[in-house]
Amino acid sequence: MISMMQTDFLKIKRKGFWFLTFLGPIGVVALQMVNYGVRKEYLLQQSENDWLYYLQNITAFTPLALVLGIAIFTSFMASIENETNAWKQLIALPVSKMTVYLSKFTMLACLLFISSILLMLFTLGFGVFLSFDEAIPWLELVKYSFYPYFAALPVLALQLWIATVSKNQGIPITTGIFGVIFAYSAHIIPDWMIWKWPSLMNQWDEPLINVLLGLGVGCLLYVVGMLDFTRRDVL
Amino acid sequence: MEYIVKTSNLSKHFGKEVAVEGLNMNIKKGDIYGFLGPNGAGKTTTIRMLLGLMKPASGSIHIFGQDIKQHRKNILARVGSLVENPSYYPHLTAYENLEALRKIIGVPKKRIYEVVETVRLTEVADKKVKGFSLGMKQRLGIAMSLLNQPQLLILDEPMNGLDPSGIIEIRELIKRLPEEFGITVLVSSHLLSEIDQMATTVGIVTKGKMIFQDSIEAMRTLAGHTISIQVNHAEQAWRLLLAKGMKVEHENDFITLQESSNEMVAETVRLLVQANLSIYRVEEEKRSLEDIFLSMTREDSAV
Ligand SMILES: Nc1ncnc2c1ncn2[C@@H]1O[C@H](COP(=O)(O)OP(=O)(O)OP(=O)(O)O)[C@@H](O)[C@H]1O
Ligand SMILES: [Mg+2]
Repeated sequence: MISMMQTDFLKIKRKGFWFLTFLGPIGVVALQMVNYGVRKEYLLQQSENDWLYYLQNITAFTPLALVLGIAIFTSFMASIENETNAWKQLIALPVSKMTVYLSKFTMLACLLFISSILLMLFTLGFGVFLSFDEAIPWLELVKYSFYPYFAALPVLALQLWIATVSKNQGIPITTGIFGVIFAYSAHIIPDWMIWKWPSLMNQWDEPLINVLLGLGVGCLLYVVGMLDFTRRDVL
Repeated sequence: MEYIVKTSNLSKHFGKEVAVEGLNMNIKKGDIYGFLGPNGAGKTTTIRMLLGLMKPASGSIHIFGQDIKQHRKNILARVGSLVENPSYYPHLTAYENLEALRKIIGVPKKRIYEVVETVRLTEVADKKVKGFSLGMKQRLGIAMSLLNQPQLLILDEPMNGLDPSGIIEIRELIKRLPEEFGITVLVSSHLLSEIDQMATTVGIVTKGKMIFQDSIEAMRTLAGHTISIQVNHAEQAWRLLLAKGMKVEHENDFITLQESSNEMVAETVRLLVQANLSIYRVEEEKRSLEDIFLSMTREDSAV
């Protein structure tokens, strides 16, 4: 499994995966740099707690970046294997198909996790730079950086499944685009839709529910996708 | 007899279309097994099943005496393969492509240099595969198949895209493998001439069915000569020769001898002359392997 992952990381070389891993969190924070750069005084008047208000502004775009990143990563990953039908070579190696699938999932989950760490660092950095009056709300910072990640795992599992088993790469791209649209419309779509979860919104106003749902349903979708992948013939 | 590859009644269909039907393939250790058949005969489908890429609809596969269903990993660790077009990652160099595989199969790094040398890609090993010619990509595919020092090498149309000197080179390489490394080779092709130049055993498949499987010599004797004789009363001549216990056939004005030894021809002519038949022509007909292959695959049955 370790060697399989080393191979998977080798394969994404020069394909822009690492660039996107950095770009996502930079983009999210950069939007707030613009926002605060243009109208800092106004924004500071909006709330009692400037740090929390700033974190909420950041979080407005995190889900979008996550869902978009997942769509791009999964279809890039599939296109690398599809380009010369490398699946047939991969599956003819003495490894189980489950290992192949798990390795892909783990790699993408790692990249997104790194993105989340970077998001936390950049958020912290710019927050410190803005020098709010309050103390740094560490717990909230960690929550806002990593809760959306866990809540987005079902989307990752679903997109990975669709991307690996589709012969036509138009399908995962289409579902990816719809995912991004749903994530953008998080405030109006129903609670049961997985694309809403990274926004941490729900009717009970308890973000932890989204995290737990994300982990649970993420595992479920992962297992279903993996079983379907192992069942299929490789052409 | 212990076979390296043995399939029993192997079948596979795609929807209603039958791709492989009741195929029994037997490959002995040290064989270069030529798997021959026209386009769409089911060669690649059979190979995919041998490699566990596809599950057979029915029938069984034993490789190294083990059932692929239970021992897939174990078997694949000792098999090298190249199916249809070579698979590679164009954005990586040849070396990186091999390294990606090497990590998974866990052979020492020096093995990469060995296989690259074997297929003569050493000079371009650090270049991205994107820029490779078709032949270079094909060589890389073969290098990949050799990386794990396989005991069984399965090559599906390995000569694709190679120029004449490349073909000779790969053919010589394949011929060396059984002697030097004890590797058993399964090589598919739709060209008999290619198989004829390297195979020790031939399996011919058409429309999913194995219609011939024997040594290349056995196939060559099928291509033996026949003598045909044109006479004024072919039917009468035919009866006469049959009555003498000879193997003959007749068609229009011609009778055909299956045996073509000098004595046989002399004896036949003598009998015909004695019976007052007029002999117009005595001709030798050679059937090439190609003819046999064509007639076999056309009629869909053994010759
Ligand atoms: N994935 C698939 N879906 C539907 N039909 C298929 C599929 N793969 C193969 N077939 C059909 O099965 C038959 C056998 O195909 P196969 O690729 O095994 O032939 P082949 O002997 O390798 O031919 P070629 O010399 O052209 O490579 C063909 O009629 C083909 O159309
Ligand atoms: Mg084929």
